[in-house]
Amino acid sequence: MSARLRTGTLGSYSEGMPDAVHVRDLRKTYVVPEREAGARAAFASLLHRRTRDVHAVEGISFDLAPGEIVGFLGPNGAGKTTTLKMLAGLLHPSAGEATVLGHIPARRERAFLRQITLVMGQRNQLNWDIPAADSFELNRAIYRIPAVAYRASFDELVALLDLEPLLKKPVRNLSLGERMKCEIALALLHRPRVVFLDEPTIGLDVTMQRRIRTFIADYNRRYGATVLLTSHYMADVEALCRRVIVIHEGRLLFDGELSALVKQFTAHKTIVVHLGDCDADLSSYGELVSCVDGVATLRVAKEETARVTGRLLADLPVIDLTVEDPPIEDAIVSAFAQGASS
Amino acid sequence: MVELYRQQFRTTIAVQLQYRAALVIWLIGQVLGPLVTLSVWTAVSASGGGQAGGYTPADFAAYYIVLMIVNQLTFTWIMFELEYRVRHGSMSMALLRPVHPIHSDIADNVAFKLLTFPLILVAAAVIALGFHPAFHFSAWSTVAFLPAVFLAFLVRFLMEWTLALAAFWTTRVSAVNQIYFVVSLFLSGQIAPLSLLPRGVQAAGMILPFRWTVGFPVELLLGKLSFPQALEGMAAQVAWLGLCLLLLRLVWRAGVRTYGAVGA
Amino acid sequence: MRFLRLLATFVRVGVLGELAYRANFFFQLLESLIELGTALAGLAIVFSYTASLGGWRPDEVVALVGVYFLAGGCIRLLIQPSMQQLIESVRDGTLDFILTKPEDAQVLASIQRVEIWKVADVALGLAVIGVALVRMGSRIDAVRALQFAAALVAGGVIVYSFWLILATLAFWFVRVENILVIFQSMYDAGRWPVGLYPGWLRFALTFLVPVTFAVTVPAEALAGRLGWLTLLGAGGLAVGLFVASRLLWRAGLRHYSGASA
Repeated sequence: MSARLRTGTLGSYSEGMPDAVHVRDLRKTYVVPEREAGARAAFASLLHRRTRDVHAVEGISFDLAPGEIVGFLGPNGAGKTTTLKMLAGLLHPSAGEATVLGHIPARRERAFLRQITLVMGQRNQLNWDIPAADSFELNRAIYRIPAVAYRASFDELVALLDLEPLLKKPVRNLSLGERMKCEIALALLHRPRVVFLDEPTIGLDVTMQRRIRTFIADYNRRYGATVLLTSHYMADVEALCRRVIVIHEGRLLFDGELSALVKQFTAHKTIVVHLGDCDADLSSYGELVSCVDGVATLRVAKEETARVTGRLLADLPVIDLTVEDPPIEDAIVSAFAQGASS
Repeated sequence: MVELYRQQFRTTIAVQLQYRAALVIWLIGQVLGPLVTLSVWTAVSASGGGQAGGYTPADFAAYYIVLMIVNQLTFTWIMFELEYRVRHGSMSMALLRPVHPIHSDIADNVAFKLLTFPLILVAAAVIALGFHPAFHFSAWSTVAFLPAVFLAFLVRFLMEWTLALAAFWTTRVSAVNQIYFVVSLFLSGQIAPLSLLPRGVQAAGMILPFRWTVGFPVELLLGKLSFPQALEGMAAQVAWLGLCLLLLRLVWRAGVRTYGAVGA
Repeated sequence: MRFLRLLATFVRVGVLGELAYRANFFFQLLESLIELGTALAGLAIVFSYTASLGGWRPDEVVALVGVYFLAGGCIRLLIQPSMQQLIESVRDGTLDFILTKPEDAQVLASIQRVEIWKVADVALGLAVIGVALVRMGSRIDAVRALQFAAALVAGGVIVYSFWLILATLAFWFVRVENILVIFQSMYDAGRWPVGLYPGWLRFALTFLVPVTFAVTVPAEALAGRLGWLTLLGAGGLAVGLFVASRLLWRAGLRHYSGASA
């Protein structure tokens, strides 16, 4: 299990302060034209449009306190990005209510937009042809950041993210990781109170991913910004988020601590035994996942763990033995599977 | 080889039918050019005592309609195409094939023209309705027109394909393009019929190949040339064809060498 | 004013980026000079056969060519690149970045891209107009200058609104870029006075693709032939189109964000 960065806020979660994000029974339904292939169907659709309702988000409710870092998990098409967009004001909800920092996002009030920021891993807002520093200038003008505040924010971000050598190069000459660092700095220049991160580490190498995770945790610690993160990388979630919200097919499947997620959705543990060789038949102890160079991995029902461990130690020449929680991916997959069947 | 042409034909037509909107827009562009110049010359000849340089408004109309048709039959877009290929590396793939890449380009070009020729005829008819052209077709010149326009197409295609190879040496192909098109605008008779151009320009037109790519077939079909002149013209076309083939060979070989040296 | 400050920043940033590519400036200048030379040469040939073209004297048509380059330069400098970028951003979702900024989205979208070297066209256009005015020998009094400026501004607003309406269609239709190609083909016809063209083409160039208002009308002002009625009409159309484009833009945004219409 990877080490978890301690994500505190300014002390503990502020008690008694209004929620940064408040969502009640949020819904989003798309009307999608439906048409079969072929010329005849094309003509038919001119006369009579057939439509289908796609329920992207079906009644989600949650609250985020200021300074929380929350991970949104869910398979593709589950409704995570749709929810994120509704909170950023990009989409109008079909029903339900959502407020961010006391504003209704869909109204897109200037006061609201000045306090939020959006970072999308798959898309850049940096201007491709000019150096990153110039894009920063543009944002300064747009967000009307006063000179002193801008200087402070700029210097700090450059220092935290090692941006000095990158600022003068045209963005198209930067590597993917360097670009992402500049994107994140660009998004944080105006010290937003709510940060929406949509797959920020996608496509980056491991070192850069860690770098960015550290930065986000750091930023959250310093400024108490509320962070909403969607990611497919478990490492992101494990490292940053104490609380996760699992969304599946538009519905909220789980909202709570990551460790609780694992406990709720997995029914087994993993036992790793060093035996010296793979000759012994281990099928009676549990499901054999793999055996390589004398190291056997067994999957065992939770309730059986203690008993099986005892038997292994008694029966076999065990060199070493460890009991592990299943990888979080298993919990997620299991959660989705269970969610699908419900 | 025949199979290659047939396949390319089918591909081109399928692709073009997909982008029907682009075709319509292209058609509008093709028609607007001659229409604009024709309007200008009609105004000139109407005010200048009914004619300008020997052309009445009806003559101008006939000239520009035939010009539009001949242009349609001989034009290429290969300079943009080759520059795109070199820039995006697909030229390397073309070089790996055992067939010279020019063949698929010819097939693509002809297929497009087969598809769009009826459209141009419709456009010609519409312009004719508005401008009342006076045609003086004669049997022999109409028959002679066919080989003349075919030769014109070959000369123009080879010339522009060779010129397009500039993409091997420079990224500023658009500058080369522009200069070429400006010169051809004047010397192939698109700004004005050649006989209306200043003497010096006409002389230049005689030694350069542009006259034989568009202007000559147009004059032939309009009945402005005598039989000996027509024969001379076709001989000139054949001569230029030979020259272009030679030039193509040389430039192609040099280009491939340069391309290979620099790296795909 | 706030908008001007923002525009200045965008232009400054656009220039800074391009300064590194000085060669582009020379190539743009070369291209513009060749285009100008072609237009003027064509003009020379035409006027060797007549003294008046549809009521326009040679120097007046030269002034028209100058306006053609001036207006064309302004369009290709800011309006066209920004609108093209807008259409792309609707398709690839980067419009979301504009929508989460605390500034009017239409303003941001309209000034987001500057092709700074097209300023060569603007400069050439002004030079040609200057030369033509000198040759025309007419005195440019305040009235004519005002008419010209008003006609240019009206034409600019009309062209901008036209482009915005087209670009906004991208919210509903996917393949809008094709239509933009038509603009270039039709703008080309602006090199000559629009009065020369057959009626249906004149109509198309006035009310479908606003070339007349961008080029011929201001040139008429320079020649001292602009009727007040036409100028008033241009102004009215400018205001009307501007309002209409703004309304359509708002409708487009509502559609994009799935608001109930």
